[in-house]
Amino acid sequence: MDKILLSLDDVSRYFADGRLERPALRHISCNVAVGACIAISGPSGSGKSTLLHIMAGLDKPTSGLVTWPALGQEIDLRPDEICLIPQTPSLLPALTVLENVELCWLLSKGNEAEARVSALRALERLGLLLIVNRLPEELSGGQLQRVAAARAIVCEPRLILADEPTGQLDSVTGSRLIEALVDTAANSNAALVVATHDSAVANRMIVQWHIARGKLEQSPT
Amino acid sequence: MILTASWIIGLIRRRPANLVGAIVGVGLAVALLACLGGFIDSSLKTMTAEAISALPIDWQILLNSPADEEEVRAAIQKADPQATMEPVLYADVPALVAKTGETVQTTGTATVLGVYPYYINTFRTEVAPMVGVDHGVLAAQQTASNLHVSVGDRVTIQRAGGLPPVDVRIEGIISLPDAGSIFQKIGAPPGASPQAPPDNVIVLPVQKWRDLFLEQMAVQPDSARSEVHVRTARLDLPPTPEAAYAWELGRAHHLELSMTGRGVVGDNLAARLASVRVDALYARVLFLFLGLPGLLVAALLTLGIASSGAARRRQQQALLRTRGASVRMILTLASAEAAFAGIGGGLFGALLTLAVRVAFKTALGVSFAGTGRWVLIASCVGLVLAFAAILRPAWDEAHRLTVAAARKVSPANSNPLWQRRWLDFGLLAVAGLLLWWMSRTGYELVLAPEGTVSTSVHYEAFVGPFCLWVGAMLVTLRFFRMILKQGLPLATKLRLPPFAGRLSRIIAAGLARQRQPLTRAMALVALAFSFAVSTAIFNATYQAQSRVDAQLTNGADVAVSGISSEAVAADLLSKLESLPHVGAARPMLHGYAYVGNDLQDIYGIDPKTLGEATQLADAYFADGGAHAALTRLEDQPDGVLASAETVSDFQLRRGDELNLRLRSAPNSEYHFVPFRFIGIVREFPTAPKDSFLVVNSAYLLSRALSTAEWIILIRTDSDPSLVATEVSRITGRIAGLRVSDIGSAQRQINSSLSAIDLSGLTLLELSFAIVFVAGATGLALFLSLGERRRSFAILSALGAKKRQLAAFMWSEAVTILVGGGLVGVCLGWVVAFALVKVLAGAFDPPPEFLTVPWAYLWLLCGAAAVLTAAGITLHLRKLVREPVVSDLRSGV
Repeated sequence: MDKILLSLDDVSRYFADGRLERPALRHISCNVAVGACIAISGPSGSGKSTLLHIMAGLDKPTSGLVTWPALGQEIDLRPDEICLIPQTPSLLPALTVLENVELCWLLSKGNEAEARVSALRALERLGLLLIVNRLPEELSGGQLQRVAAARAIVCEPRLILADEPTGQLDSVTGSRLIEALVDTAANSNAALVVATHDSAVANRMIVQWHIARGKLEQSPT
Repeated sequence: MILTASWIIGLIRRRPANLVGAIVGVGLAVALLACLGGFIDSSLKTMTAEAISALPIDWQILLNSPADEEEVRAAIQKADPQATMEPVLYADVPALVAKTGETVQTTGTATVLGVYPYYINTFRTEVAPMVGVDHGVLAAQQTASNLHVSVGDRVTIQRAGGLPPVDVRIEGIISLPDAGSIFQKIGAPPGASPQAPPDNVIVLPVQKWRDLFLEQMAVQPDSARSEVHVRTARLDLPPTPEAAYAWELGRAHHLELSMTGRGVVGDNLAARLASVRVDALYARVLFLFLGLPGLLVAALLTLGIASSGAARRRQQQALLRTRGASVRMILTLASAEAAFAGIGGGLFGALLTLAVRVAFKTALGVSFAGTGRWVLIASCVGLVLAFAAILRPAWDEAHRLTVAAARKVSPANSNPLWQRRWLDFGLLAVAGLLLWWMSRTGYELVLAPEGTVSTSVHYEAFVGPFCLWVGAMLVTLRFFRMILKQGLPLATKLRLPPFAGRLSRIIAAGLARQRQPLTRAMALVALAFSFAVSTAIFNATYQAQSRVDAQLTNGADVAVSGISSEAVAADLLSKLESLPHVGAARPMLHGYAYVGNDLQDIYGIDPKTLGEATQLADAYFADGGAHAALTRLEDQPDGVLASAETVSDFQLRRGDELNLRLRSAPNSEYHFVPFRFIGIVREFPTAPKDSFLVVNSAYLLSRALSTAEWIILIRTDSDPSLVATEVSRITGRIAGLRVSDIGSAQRQINSSLSAIDLSGLTLLELSFAIVFVAGATGLALFLSLGERRRSFAILSALGAKKRQLAAFMWSEAVTILVGGGLVGVCLGWVVAFALVKVLAGAFDPPPEFLTVPWAYLWLLCGAAAVLTAAGITLHLRKLVREPVVSDLRSGV
């Protein structure tokens, strides 16, 4: 059996909506193994982002258990083990593209010289070398998302979680981004989980899961 | 309407901190303005009331003829139906003579008063019985001392006009504490020097006076006169000194008209109000100097706090515009937010004012008059402030920016117009020139000519400090921008704390790019610190000078006066020195001497030891300070230090011989005593402000000065009032002795700027200053970090640990706090220095140096540091404990 990076056991997540509790995830159980390439598709509001946040340890389930058997404690997971590419723009506005990517390295590993080299390498992989000194406000939505992806892969984490990474990109650029993510995951034997409603993106993944109304359906690999 | 309500509810639910911050800012401004306004009104009213409360005689009306008394009384009754009045008769006589044992004492000219028995009751403080009865034939204490008589002894009154002398039997000894007023020259032109009261006074019942002096009056009319002393009801007296003075002057003029030449009014009430009028003008100037910067800081703090949510508001507006909202709709929503903050701030300010009012009433016994009116005015100002803080930027953005530009998060860092045009250095140059000119020309800030209603304050004197303040703030902004742009990378290179960690390069780069909001935050901190520091230093210097002034008036911490002989003084001295908490007790002689025809106070001291009992500051002496002057006096036994006025009047030069006419025992006659003029003394303990002399007591005694009193000056390391009580226990058995302490002197001073009790105002300002510093540091940082919560949420999502998040926050906080704080403290120092320079003419004596209240400054810095730490801790705790997902999801 493949080594399990992440395991969800009967996980549910409810959000308070006035006096009511609205379910976002309902009794989800799943495993993500080393080297897995998983697409989670589903309509808007189906719970994709919530599931990724719980997988990243950014959110806690209302019930159920989340563990990272091969990774360690929740507190030490990011950015070395898990990295999340959020759906919304997530670069720090006062830092340049290069600094934003370097930051992720510096938060975990610390060496400044290596940080610059690694950041430039990650940016080069996503074709962003020409904009390294620009500020986020000078970038397009697509560029922002690609820089976020570069930032995610700079530390070569063992689990990459991408939330609608191609949502604001044209098909060619989106395809390049997914290619880069898949390559990075493959090269570092990391797992890649992509939440998307783009079937083309989903089809690039080895495994497709579908989520609707908080219920996860896993298709056979 | 529904949309507006939803918007406000949304703000309350989603962004309560920003709304509360704006309300607190507006509330502080409202409370400060209301408290200041109420305090000014109340202070001026109190000044008027206190100034005239101890004034026994409002009018002294000199009658042209005693026969006019009835008509004059009727005119007074008409002018003020509730006025109380008493006639007083005056007769000048050539001498008084008394024989005690084998010796005969003869005085110089004397005055005999005739009063009704009710006079003492009506004007209680004018005649103070000491020994014997309080009505009958009474001798003034000094007269009894000169004549060596007591109750039961006979005194011969030499009458003028060649009339035979008459004998009277002394039935009581009195003191005349307000002799200067009773014997004033009525109808003297404005600016005339006051007339010295007679050395010898006998008081008789009216009937006896008439029996003895009607004949003299007939033979030599100019040797006798009649007055009517009046205490008015003061019912319609306006509360402020200026208005009261104008009102009183008009009333007295009207009375003179209605008396149709039968009398001349000596208007003591107007004279008292005239002196307070200048103090009141100074008080207004002080309130403006100290209060206006506070209001400006409050306003800027409110704008600063409101602007901490500007980026978010801009993005929200952009979002609204993207979704089709018109500019009008956006402005309506911003107006609703501004109105909410303005009204909320007004209510909060009113509550705060009420709390301050209650606290001041309870703690200090100070009540604010008319606070309600001021709360209303301040609330309107608060509303304007809220609209300026919230609506104005919304208006600018809606009309100037494109949606795309508005959605940008980081602000532009281009240099503003004033920086490009060097306005900051221009203002500093103007301030320097003005302050130099004012200090060079001895600028009179307040002018209130005697006898005229009009007064003027040279408000242009504000221009210098104002230019200094604004110019220094702009230079500070320029400096901060430069430091943030070039200093931060340098700090990182040099590994200066807090830029020494592995994240420091990134943090410094981020801060440098946010230099516009950071500069604003630093400027706000600098402004709050400068206000607090300048107010605190000015207040401490003012209080120190007030104490010096009180010590000058009283002589020392505690003073015993009225000691009639050297033997009594020596006996008392030994007893007083043994009292606990008495550091030193030293005697000083006080008498009068004629310089030409001018009677002046003369003080005999031991120059070697007097400084042990009282402060003798360098500023008191010209030509080299206290030590040099006193050494000269010590080296020259017949030396005399003369007041600047005496030196000017008599064209004295150092080394000149000065022959003073002194009265000597045993015949108490004046004779010339030679002195050598050795220097100028500007001020001296217990001395009057105009003309006086200081000599060696040994020399004075060797020339047998009589009719002098001894004063014992006492320095204490304890509460002077408690020591004064102990001293009173020892001196209580000796008639005529007066014990006073510096505290009571401080309360009674009413002829200088120090009379204005600033403690209430400054306590108010210093309390607000701490709140402003807290607001500019803790609250502003808390709101600013809150506005950038999403950035910290991203950092947290990336995996930043608590210490790494703290590094980001602390770097920013330390930059703001240390940069802003240091500049603010320096600026406050400079502003306090400028204030003291501008008001130099008002300090009496001028301060030699600024007094720094270190404890308050440490408290201020501590409060700022603690609140900054609290702001960061709160944010960190929230970031670490609560999921950051919702912040990540939000686009803004």
